[in-house]
Amino acid sequence: MSIEPIIGRYLTVTVEGAPRRIYFEEAGQGRPVLCLHTAGADTRQWRHLMNDAGITAANRMIAFDLPWHGKSLPPEGFETEEYLLTTKAYMETVLAVIDGLGLERPVLAGCSMGGRIALQFAALHPDKFSGFIAIEASDFQPAWYDIDWFHRPDAHGGEMGAALVSANISPFAPNAERWNTLWMFMQSGPGVFRGDLSFYTKDDSLIARLGDIDTGKTPVHLIVGAYDLTCTPEDSKRTADAIKGATLAVMDELGHFPMSEHPDGFQPFFVDALARMPAREAK
Amino acid sequence: MIDTFHDMQAKLEATPHLLRLGRLFSETVLVQVGDDEIYLTFENGHLTQVTEGPSRKTPWRFALRTDADALTQFWQLLPAPGFHDIFGLLKIGRGNIDGDILCLVKNLRFFKEFMALPRAARKDAA
Repeated sequence: MSIEPIIGRYLTVTVEGAPRRIYFEEAGQGRPVLCLHTAGADTRQWRHLMNDAGITAANRMIAFDLPWHGKSLPPEGFETEEYLLTTKAYMETVLAVIDGLGLERPVLAGCSMGGRIALQFAALHPDKFSGFIAIEASDFQPAWYDIDWFHRPDAHGGEMGAALVSANISPFAPNAERWNTLWMFMQSGPGVFRGDLSFYTKDDSLIARLGDIDTGKTPVHLIVGAYDLTCTPEDSKRTADAIKGATLAVMDELGHFPMSEHPDGFQPFFVDALARMPAREAK
Repeated sequence: MIDTFHDMQAKLEATPHLLRLGRLFSETVLVQVGDDEIYLTFENGHLTQVTEGPSRKTPWRFALRTDADALTQFWQLLPAPGFHDIFGLLKIGRGNIDGDILCLVKNLRFFKEFMALPRAARKDAA
């Protein structure tokens, strides 16, 4: 028998003028590190790092499910709403969680669309954070698939989504974690993966903002897996090159969901990234 | 190459979870390897016919087109990036998929795991 140190609670904040009941988990103490999951998934992607005593000894790891994801319900009236995530709503949600939890300039670590939004924050609201870890992140990628495949009445969007994103998982990933990663996509609510991808594959506003990022004030470190077909090492390198002072690490044996698909392979890269972030500011 | 697909036919019959995943899949798929055409006829998840082309008379639902070297790399236990997935082959310019792609996507897990069966065979032999 074992009980993990991760604790989950709920927080209600206001986003776009309406309440959102948000599920969040945390573990550890010290420097706050806010972790953002990928499209079509939830906080479970971070559970391995949140159970890593070497990380939580000095870092308060926090992850939350975006509304519509995991244990965070969609907003009231969702039954007649088409879910389409936007940069504005995503950023407002992250800021509401930071304020709601009283986090003081956390490190922001995001993967995939979470990495994209981390870079948006680096450009638009660096004052709210102490540094940025952008995983499988780049300026923009158009879809190499039809996002409408994943929300239709005659097929299971979750199963199709999982089958597609398995293309982004490294063959070096342990089989159990490969399938745990895919299970989250299989469980994703109808239309949620499509709505996330709409934001991820259509909003290219970050490209023009990369030059605004001041890594002298808030460091930016990118991490990318060689087996990521969606955000390739070339995509991340192009992005890092456009941010003066940004650093980049390429993981030869990992894919698009490194913290989830291959926790042991990713851990050293994440520890290295944390070491590049500022220590907790003295009060 | 045709022998490999006959081996895959036998391997599929010995893989119950794949037969279950493919139980509603009854289509003909064209796999083109270089200039060679191979028609795979599935019935309720079973691969009932492996037929060499070329054939202008055989209708197919979707086609995967690649080359022999790419497929050999795809079938390695630990393929290099891009060779690890059929969509990876597209991404690195070593493959194409055309026809009814939605049909493929609806049956994507089944077809991808079918195409990867030689990897499992190599693992068993190791």
